[in-house]
Amino acid sequence: MTLTELIKVMVLKNMKREKFLTVLSVIGVALGIGLFTGVKAASDKAISSFEADIRGTNPYTNFEILDTAGTDFQEEIYRTVRKIAQNSFPVLKVEGYLPEIKSAIDIQGIDLIRTAGFLKLSPGRGSSFENYFRGLNSAIITRAFASSHSLKRGDIARAFVYDKEFSLRVSDIVDDASLPSNIFLMDLGNFQEYFGKTGYLTRIDAEADETTVSEIKKILPPSLSIGKKEAAIRNQKSLIKSFRYNLQFVSLIAILVGIFLLYNTIFISVVKRRTEIGILRGLGASKKTVVLIFMIQGLILGIAGSMLGILIGQVTAYFSVTAVEKTITSMYRAVSITDYFIPKTDIALALALGVLVSLIASAAPSFEAARIRPNESTREGTFEGGHRRMRRAYALAGLVLIALGCAVSYIDYHSMPYDFPFLAYAGILFIIFGFTLLSPSYLSLVLSGLGRPVEKLFTSVGVITVGDIKGSVYRFSVALMSVAISSALIFALLTLIFSFRNSLKAWINKNIAADVYVKPASCRSNFCFFPLSDELIKTVEGMPEVAGVDRFRTLQIDFQGRKVVAGFGDREIRRRSGDVGLAEEERRAERDFGTDRIIGVSKFLGIKFDLKVGDTVELRTPRGVQKFVVYDIFSSYSTTSGFVYLDRKWLMKYWGLDDATQFAVYLRKGADVPAFISRINEILRPRFSLSITNNAQLREHVLSIFDRTFAITYAIELISIIVSLIGVINTLLALVIEKKREITILRYLGGSWGQIRAKLVLSAGIVGVTGIFLGGIMGPLMSVIFIEVINKVSFGWEIHFHIPFYYLSIVTAVLFLITLSAGLIPLNVAKGVDPKRLISFE
Amino acid sequence: MVTLEGVQKYYGTAHVLKGVDLKLGKGEFVAVTGSSGSGKSTLLNIIGGMDRPDAGKIFVDRNEISSYDDEKLTLYRRKKIGFVFQFFNLLPNITVIENVRIPLLLNGSRDEEMAHAFVSRVGLEGREDSYPHELSGGEQQRVAIARALVHDPDIILADEPTGSLDSSTGRAIMGLLTRLREETGKTILLVTHEEYISRYASRVLKIRDGIIRQ
Ligand SMILES: Nc1ncnc2c1ncn2[C@@H]1O[C@H](COP(=O)(O)OP(=O)(O)O)[C@@H](O)[C@H]1O
Ligand SMILES: [Mg+2]
Repeated sequence: MTLTELIKVMVLKNMKREKFLTVLSVIGVALGIGLFTGVKAASDKAISSFEADIRGTNPYTNFEILDTAGTDFQEEIYRTVRKIAQNSFPVLKVEGYLPEIKSAIDIQGIDLIRTAGFLKLSPGRGSSFENYFRGLNSAIITRAFASSHSLKRGDIARAFVYDKEFSLRVSDIVDDASLPSNIFLMDLGNFQEYFGKTGYLTRIDAEADETTVSEIKKILPPSLSIGKKEAAIRNQKSLIKSFRYNLQFVSLIAILVGIFLLYNTIFISVVKRRTEIGILRGLGASKKTVVLIFMIQGLILGIAGSMLGILIGQVTAYFSVTAVEKTITSMYRAVSITDYFIPKTDIALALALGVLVSLIASAAPSFEAARIRPNESTREGTFEGGHRRMRRAYALAGLVLIALGCAVSYIDYHSMPYDFPFLAYAGILFIIFGFTLLSPSYLSLVLSGLGRPVEKLFTSVGVITVGDIKGSVYRFSVALMSVAISSALIFALLTLIFSFRNSLKAWINKNIAADVYVKPASCRSNFCFFPLSDELIKTVEGMPEVAGVDRFRTLQIDFQGRKVVAGFGDREIRRRSGDVGLAEEERRAERDFGTDRIIGVSKFLGIKFDLKVGDTVELRTPRGVQKFVVYDIFSSYSTTSGFVYLDRKWLMKYWGLDDATQFAVYLRKGADVPAFISRINEILRPRFSLSITNNAQLREHVLSIFDRTFAITYAIELISIIVSLIGVINTLLALVIEKKREITILRYLGGSWGQIRAKLVLSAGIVGVTGIFLGGIMGPLMSVIFIEVINKVSFGWEIHFHIPFYYLSIVTAVLFLITLSAGLIPLNVAKGVDPKRLISFE
Repeated sequence: MVTLEGVQKYYGTAHVLKGVDLKLGKGEFVAVTGSSGSGKSTLLNIIGGMDRPDAGKIFVDRNEISSYDDEKLTLYRRKKIGFVFQFFNLLPNITVIENVRIPLLLNGSRDEEMAHAFVSRVGLEGREDSYPHELSGGEQQRVAIARALVHDPDIILADEPTGSLDSSTGRAIMGLLTRLREETGKTILLVTHEEYISRYASRVLKIRDGIIRQ
């Protein structure tokens, strides 16, 4: 094909000549795509580790039998179930923690012999099945886990399980990608005996069809239920999906900035090569050829960008895996991600994204190029003229889009048609595009207002610069928008983070009031589901400095048909121990509603079920369906899956339980907290392994989880700043290249480099100021949508709007200074210009 | 071979061509002279398919190109026309040989031999890999002539080909054009405002007030 030859001559050579521009654009695209891919890979790994966990060790089973409260149940029922469904497998599981390698693990007791076939166990290879049973603490681990923590067969690992410390011996290593990597498999009998859970099961996995299922249903007690695994997987996935969507959406905005950059590059290339295109058309090149030349230029940049992006994504994935892992562990349940390599599908996605980005970015400039007439080579035409006539229409379309974006976001706010805030995402994109269309009018408006003072302030340089920008409003608008989008993103995200952090602090002050908090060391999440030993609680209660122990029980319950976490606390203890605020609130509510059957509901559930204070809700308990009155709709920052709060007396009455999964200790006035903690440590250490924190530590811990979660957001901000700066450099650079002749003439006429520098810096400054100002309008708008819509739909966290003026002004100043210095880079390029070459060209 | 009947052209309200009639025979070398701004380039652009007349007809080999759409005009320029401009109009970022190859590539031919042959014919052997800015004005115009001839067009249109060269270089360029015309038998239409250039032509026409005078 002669086209490839033409491309080589017309595209590749040109890109080689403009290495700097090319490299800048490639990096800009790569950063956006890399961030997107990395974040996606990291959160997908978390999701698939969730999924593998539910699928369990028997890949052919499609149903699971669970206790409705999420607790372990008596194993007798298994015998009956097995008679109905041959292929059913008992599982007893618990979360553990290996303190030496700082990793959460999932310990499962299973029928090893019956599952051996699925698990590719290799008892023949130098060992026998007996090996697995010899020693109660034998555990089989995965190859992935073994190699990432360098564990060998025969190694002994210290492990926190339930509220005690144990040791586990690695008896074999299996290679099975379908298993969660952090799983420790034990023989069921050994597990029961070793951890003192004789007679209990957590789950029964079953392979069954509909008739078998209905038969099983008949024999199950009301506390047990059978459900499809697929449904459970879907449920679990949707929990972290909102988390993932939000991260991905923000990185999508970084890609958007990349699109602007690429658009800028191609557009500038078209402007700069207008004469060349005219010549080419004169020689008989068709419009199609011209379009192809620029589309392919864009495509090459886009694909090169996405290839580099895959590398960057790999690095991003490496770092975000830790953040995602920690956040999901504390919000939902322990996950451990050992593999952070981007999968092939995501590599393909990154490439596709690169192609898409480059097509979007280069379409408009390419068709613009095709409109250049063949005789334009002989006569200067005004390239911007066509746009100028359209400016009004653009501005109008822009306003319509902005209004549409707000409307769509409002619909999402008001009626939430989807489980995820897709409408709000679309709304934000509409708003960004709207502002983009509006930007040329905005810039020329500003210039006509700003022109005079600037000209006065900077005299001749001012006149030239303002005239220059006026003559290239469209090119400058593109640079302006890159700055505007990234500063809007900074404004919006900083506002979100600060508002969120402040609200969280207020919540902490209200809710973290006890002196000491105790939970099992094996539990890494905010909520634990495994009961603590009675002996442990008795010991603490009996200590002289203790004023009261608020025993807290978390349970999974059925709330209006949805599985949610319920917390049962002891109001009487809290009231007696001096934490009167909340207790008083409850007492007042009881008086107002005339009943003590009251329930607090997290905002997330309040939104999902459209609940108001005073509404009646239904809970399914082992003692039948019970009605409660909603007395409070509160913010829960500890989980995103929905949370309800009830008094302990109902736990006893309807669930028949009186245990605790974690507890808070109130000390007598004047008691020495550190001394108390070291004393209970001393007494309990030998028998229990616990995580004991004082009030301040717990507060700090909650905030540190928050900060870690938002670390990714900071990276996104940083990257979009970099990309938008590249955009500014790019525009100015292109202008310098385009104006090379003018610069040389200016030099001949006695203009100094100082004046040229002043002109470039002034241009950059104008782009910076106008861009940041526009971002200052877009940003708050975006942050309102982030907080009021996206947060509401995905998490329902209570966030009080709070604009961090102080930080924002510092960040703005820094951003402005960086933009100014972006004006200096093109100067060096201008200096490197060879005057001979310029003069001989025209 | 080329016939113009009552060709008119306006730029806004300016009536630049007011009814041009012209006949070019095959293999003829015709020069059109006229003062600056008299519409010479406009006339050439219209014949070359770069621009369209507002009235009148243009026939090339009995095809009425004045009725062509953009796509057909593009093909016409690509196959039938070789252009030589006052300011050379070489593509600045590619080498001499690449510049000469462009018309061939656009016509779907990868023939490098042909390009080399034409570079030699205009006397630039050994300069194939130079860039336009490394060449003198005269040399650049030689490249442009090679580019105008390489794809074997029927008609060469030259718009003040010596206009930006000194007179001795200009003469050399005209010598080259004449020699190549004799060798290839191409039809040449050349416009110039310099009297001495028109002496190379076999027929000289004058354009004034938008009308061709014999
Ligand atoms: N694209 C154009 N737009 C407006 N006026 C034009 C354009 N091209 C040529 N003209 C005008 O038409 C007249 C003839 O121009 P041209 O054909 O270039 O003259 P010549 O080549 O004889 O110097 C001039 O007055 C010129 O200003
Ligand atoms: Mg002319």
